[in-house]
Amino acid sequence: MSEEILEPEKWVEQYADMLYRYTLVRVKDPDVAEELVQTTFFAALKSQHTFAGKSTEKTWLFGILKHKTMDHFRAAKKNINLDLSDPEGDSIQFDPMGHMVPPPNNWNLNPEKAVENKELAQVLAKCLNGLSEKFHRIFVLKEIEGLSSEEICKEFGVKPTNLWVMLHRARNQLKLCMEANWLSKE
Amino acid sequence: MSIFKMTCKDVYPLISEEMDRPLSFGARVRLKMHLGICSLCEIYRKQLATLRSLARSLGKEDSRITETTVLNPETKEKIQKFIKEKI
Repeated sequence: MSEEILEPEKWVEQYADMLYRYTLVRVKDPDVAEELVQTTFFAALKSQHTFAGKSTEKTWLFGILKHKTMDHFRAAKKNINLDLSDPEGDSIQFDPMGHMVPPPNNWNLNPEKAVENKELAQVLAKCLNGLSEKFHRIFVLKEIEGLSSEEICKEFGVKPTNLWVMLHRARNQLKLCMEANWLSKE
Repeated sequence: MSIFKMTCKDVYPLISEEMDRPLSFGARVRLKMHLGICSLCEIYRKQLATLRSLARSLGKEDSRITETTVLNPETKEKIQKFIKEKI
């Protein structure tokens, strides 16, 4: 197999949009996402000598971006307190009998197959953007970055009980938003 | 509280928590008992599972879900210029 080479003059054309979209799913602020993509290209340029040609150029660039994004999350710890100091209530309501009001909509979807529904995923992207910074970050770390609960608690100073409560509430907000934006069209 | 008197309100946090940590034996039993008789909570559970799989696909490197989103052309130009100067 031939070794991969780097072609920095083609990076922007080939990867800029892809890297930007990947980042924008993870950070809410487009300016921050833009900055992370820039930083990634600059860092890649500086460390070209570390590219061993074993992976593709694309994988290598994404690797740098992932590091930069996690660095950003760690640095932002000071600004976004991820613990539940300022609780946002749960958006799901119940009647006196303890039933959900309104009752959950049957999406009639197999959760695994739902990923093939691009429109539905676009609604999720929109709903995700509507979460508060705190819930957005928690949901991204858990469900998009795929960190374990232990890692999130340790790395971001969150108590496990608070993490579960916040994930639960973030999911409920997303669920209600999806119902309002997607299912209303059915 | 008797497990037969458990309402959706009592059980629904467990549905989310189960996605993030192993539940205690007692909690697992309570949840299973309730899901056996409550179709609405089963629907809710599927909704959360759908959210999870959609979120994962949204976050993939090759995700084309938000493909109309592009980086600002001015920023692209700036980066391109910088790269040209350095190589």
